[in-house]
Amino acid sequence: MTGWRVPIDRLVWADPRRRARKLLQFAEVEAQGARDLFRAAEMTDDPLLRRRLFAHARDEVRHAALFRARGLALRRMLADPGPEHGLGDGLIPGERGFDRLEVERESIAALLAFIHLSERAASQAFAAYGAVLDHDPETRAVIDRIARDEEGHMRYSRAELTRLAPDARRALWVARLRRFWRAYLRLALILADMISRLILTLLYFLLLPPFAWVAKRAARKEAAGWRDCPEHDRAEGRAGGGQY
Amino acid sequence: MKILGISAFYHDAAAALTIDGLPVAAVQEERLSRSKNDPTFPMRAIEWCLDQAGLEPEALDAAIFYERPALKFDRVLMTLLRGFPQSWRIFPKAMKNMVGEKLWVRGIVSAQLGIPARRVHFTDHHLSHAAAAFLTAPTEEAAILTADGVGEWATLTVGQGSKRPGGPVDIRLLREVRFPHSLGLFYSAFTAWLGFPVNEGEYKVMGLAAYGAPRFADEVRRILRRTPDGAFSLDLGYFDYHRAVDAAYSRRFVDLFGPPRDRFEPIDPGTAQGRHYADVAASAQRVLEEVIVDIATAFRKETGLADLCLGGGVALNGVANARILREAGFERLFVPSAPGDAGCALGAALWADRILFGQPHRDCPDHPFWGPAVEPDDLARLAAEDGLAFERAAEADMIDNVADAIGRGAVVGWMEGAVEFGPRALGHRSILADPGDAAMRDRINRDIKFRESFRPFAPVVPVEQAATFFELPPGGARLGRFMSGVFPVRPEWRDRLRAVTHVDGTARVQVLEAAMAPRLHRLLGAYSRCHGIPVLLNTSFNIAGDPIVTSAAEGYSTFRRAGMDLLVADDVVVRRDRARQAQRMEVMA
Repeated sequence: MTGWRVPIDRLVWADPRRRARKLLQFAEVEAQGARDLFRAAEMTDDPLLRRRLFAHARDEVRHAALFRARGLALRRMLADPGPEHGLGDGLIPGERGFDRLEVERESIAALLAFIHLSERAASQAFAAYGAVLDHDPETRAVIDRIARDEEGHMRYSRAELTRLAPDARRALWVARLRRFWRAYLRLALILADMISRLILTLLYFLLLPPFAWVAKRAARKEAAGWRDCPEHDRAEGRAGGGQY
Repeated sequence: MKILGISAFYHDAAAALTIDGLPVAAVQEERLSRSKNDPTFPMRAIEWCLDQAGLEPEALDAAIFYERPALKFDRVLMTLLRGFPQSWRIFPKAMKNMVGEKLWVRGIVSAQLGIPARRVHFTDHHLSHAAAAFLTAPTEEAAILTADGVGEWATLTVGQGSKRPGGPVDIRLLREVRFPHSLGLFYSAFTAWLGFPVNEGEYKVMGLAAYGAPRFADEVRRILRRTPDGAFSLDLGYFDYHRAVDAAYSRRFVDLFGPPRDRFEPIDPGTAQGRHYADVAASAQRVLEEVIVDIATAFRKETGLADLCLGGGVALNGVANARILREAGFERLFVPSAPGDAGCALGAALWADRILFGQPHRDCPDHPFWGPAVEPDDLARLAAEDGLAFERAAEADMIDNVADAIGRGAVVGWMEGAVEFGPRALGHRSILADPGDAAMRDRINRDIKFRESFRPFAPVVPVEQAATFFELPPGGARLGRFMSGVFPVRPEWRDRLRAVTHVDGTARVQVLEAAMAPRLHRLLGAYSRCHGIPVLLNTSFNIAGDPIVTSAAEGYSTFRRAGMDLLVADDVVVRRDRARQAQRMEVMA
């Protein structure tokens, strides 16, 4: 376990509301991971790898169910479970799928290296979470059980990588660099998002008020109900299929 | 002319290709990317359409986008201005959304396809819906009604169209209701309040409504009001979609109907809480029906036309469609297989061909099978590699065997030919099962589709015998062609059709003509000979959260994940061998 993260983990996992939310987030991540693995199984030509990916995906489905069940059980104990929109996947807007492999576009080596490193990271993270959950043995049992599975996934993906990729070490290094690059990009995107929000919000309050006044005035004059379709000539093609 | 239609950037992106006025390929991006309701630029779908026709992008005469981005930007900006200062939270997101990508469609299409920008055209969102509904329907003159969430400004339009083979086409949208007054967004607000994902869970609201009584109809009528001219308006105080990032309904909405459902908790219509949600769903459904039936009735009187073509996402509401057919006075109601935004790709391409470029009309083939075909050899290979029993059988034997298996309780994954264009499985990517056993419905919901227990399943029946089992009004068989209407199951058959009869005694029936899916039609015949009824449970071949399967590999994967008993891809049949599979899984573990 990495010692420096213990206080952070302890803080995160101490609050039952946050604990429930984390578990439900994990459930969503595992479910999405399962979809990716099933997809990878559909795409591969190697029968043994297909079966292993399939078995792995089934594990992820089971993990999603375990996380969800425990998260819901914790949530039901709360007087106020908090807002639901806090249960997103933690991605910034427009970032959907950013951290995931595009299964169809990856080589087998890249895919297996990605799986191996992801499972290793997950295994370490879950071990760390389990270590700060003495006060919640049921959640700890769920996390420990899943952490053990992740170790198994780590091993099979490494073995398959060795079996199928001529240069497994290189594939792992490339995958590590890609993870690093993605982490950097993720941080940069979050920063860019914050800056753009700030600038656009400033513009909103500085530039828009007079236009808003005019727009509101115009809106008051508009009656609800039917309106004639604006330009029949468009329907007849005379507008030339333009953007306006 | 070779015209590529594209819909994208909202939800359910798609591409469609027409050559000389006829569709040759159409597919939703989600079917290829495997990301449900994929809204991204449909590059995979475009590539597949072009490959299917053996074309390079340069050979295209035109590409047409299904709406006008600049007009849409106008609406977004105007809405933000009108919502000042409450719209401050949504402003950055909306601007980044529009200015980041959606406003530059001409450049994106041109760059992605490598064609000159002058070959990229646009049409109105609701004209695309209208064209998809009217130009694919077997009628020469019809009234047209489109209704959805929102396009550029319009949310509902009425118009009319005329066409004849070899002659000119006219589609004229006469009137529209404008954003923020929208039947689609009205329904979506209830979808969100009921804890279902918007643009995906609307089916669930309709299914849940059958469990309830519309005892909140008066409250809903306060929200969705009629205007003196026969249209409608929303009381915007109850909604937030026009000024908030992540909310469809407002505090007043919650005050009126109570706290929203916790999406993590299951709905049980047997409990007081569950009944409350069902009652609200029933009330929203009832008022939606009233409004749309009334608009259709008035339009029928105004135009005097016998046929109505219905497009837009609201046309997926089979209960409302059936009421329009019964009550509005039209003799026939045409809803395309893809009435939602995906279908706009085809609609836009057809509109461009007939109207933008003035080509004479050609009748489109009346079927939904425009997507990639299944490769049975792939299934045989996969099964062989995994040591599962499979056989290649002559069609008659295969059909008899499958009918026999279904009769003995098997759940069958059925893949045949090209994939359907649109959200319904219409016999080429279906899960088929015994329609008579209520336990079968529960098993498929719980163990195979992994979805809510209250959701109903659809039956498929040959057109020749449909009226025996279902109370179809005149024109009902046509509406049931693409599973677009919900009709009562005849009381004397409800007991034998328990798995497909919803709690209110209705079913969203697919009325199958032999010419459209001959093998499935023959399977129904074989099932009838063995078991006395030519009806099967027919649900989409996917698991909750996944798009409908496209390839043999996806069908095979879903078959194994869902624990189905039999998988058919054209002439290849794979049987589930539980013992052998369990043993292999143990070895893997």
